[in-house]
Amino acid sequence: MCRSSMVFFLLQVVLRFKDDSELARRLKAREPQAMSDLYDRYGRLAYSLIYRVVRDAATAEDLVQETFLRVWNRVASFDQQKGALGPWVLTVARNRAIDYVRSVDGRMRHARSVSAGSLELDRIENPARFSALDDSALSLDRARKLKHAFERLTPNQRMVIELAYFEGMSQTEMAARLKQPLGTVKTWVRSALKTLRDELTEVATA
Amino acid sequence: MTCDELKEMMELYCLGVLEGEEKDELDAHLARNCETCQRNLNGALAMNAAMLTLVPAAAPPRRLKRRILAGIGVERSRWGWAAALAAACMLAVAVWVSLEERRRTAELADARRAVIEVSAQRDRLQQALGFLDDPATLPVSFGKGQPAPPRGNVFVNARLGVLLIASNLPPAARGRIYQMWMIPKGGAPRPAGLFQSEAAGTALHILSGPVDAATLGAVAVTLEPEAGSPAPTTTPIIVAPVAGL
Repeated sequence: MCRSSMVFFLLQVVLRFKDDSELARRLKAREPQAMSDLYDRYGRLAYSLIYRVVRDAATAEDLVQETFLRVWNRVASFDQQKGALGPWVLTVARNRAIDYVRSVDGRMRHARSVSAGSLELDRIENPARFSALDDSALSLDRARKLKHAFERLTPNQRMVIELAYFEGMSQTEMAARLKQPLGTVKTWVRSALKTLRDELTEVATA
Repeated sequence: MTCDELKEMMELYCLGVLEGEEKDELDAHLARNCETCQRNLNGALAMNAAMLTLVPAAAPPRRLKRRILAGIGVERSRWGWAAALAAACMLAVAVWVSLEERRRTAELADARRAVIEVSAQRDRLQQALGFLDDPATLPVSFGKGQPAPPRGNVFVNARLGVLLIASNLPPAARGRIYQMWMIPKGGAPRPAGLFQSEAAGTALHILSGPVDAATLGAVAVTLEPEAGSPAPTTTPIIVAPVAGL
């Protein structure tokens, strides 16, 4: 799934900046330097994520720009006292990339479906949703645990997780792609997510 | 479905890939402000965010940050400043190039003038050597035995003209010039050209063209106004009698 050393380098870069709430406050105050700082903090991670999904540098560049523009335009609804900026920015970046691949790969052939999918992505990245997350969501320890848990998954479990996170596929779409019964795919997804979730729960309770 | 059952699909819900009844049911729970589901939602959002960091690192191009900042109008002023600086630099370079071009043009003109001058001097010296090499040239000295006045020789050649070589002849004062005269026997002086002496007090002047040596009585030099005179206005400082050669 990833070259771990590079991933953790990125996270370490992100985690050097502890005070996301102060950055969010400055973004809401429309301080020009705040946008520059936001990019310094999350630009490379957002680009890596989007590039992973779209596999094209020029497109990734456009989508990173769209991501940051979206964050800039919607930050007013973000609660800087309680919210975690990083998870929100990454979610927006992932959704921009998924929305793009859905619109070009013919997976959603009908305009209505594409439009509905875009609306759904729009809804789930609403900044208000991220108002109860704390800054530890992107901790290095959690990422390391998650990575180890991911590596313990079976190939089929890893496959469906990648399809969900980085290709934006529903379980029905996965079943069609993998030519497997929907029930089988759901089992793989559920068991994979439980393994990952349990690993993080252990981190939280440790 | 119970909250625990819904928890198993919360990550998919947060990724926007949950469909059908499962999604509708989760929407309904959250709409009722179900605390358990809300807590599970936060957990799923946090896990998804951490999952999204598990990607290979890729380096965005440097221009991307500028693009983004320009896109929201943040970078404009910085670029305006940079553009002004760039324009000022270009103007400074243009001025420097222009001044340098002018300086080089002036240097080139000076060099051309020097070459012309050297070339003219070389021509005059060759002309003078022509006088001295010709057996038909008749030399006449002047100023001999006198400590201060100019001394030198006049060379008369019926075919080539008259050559004057003088020393101890200081450069004429500003606005003045030396003028040579051909004085026929029993006649009025005729202008024979203007010249200036060198800083060292030497002078070389040539009147080119045939002369009637038989009727020539003397060659003289006077100090005249800068434009020269039709007839001498001062007492001659050089007189070389050539009659009887």
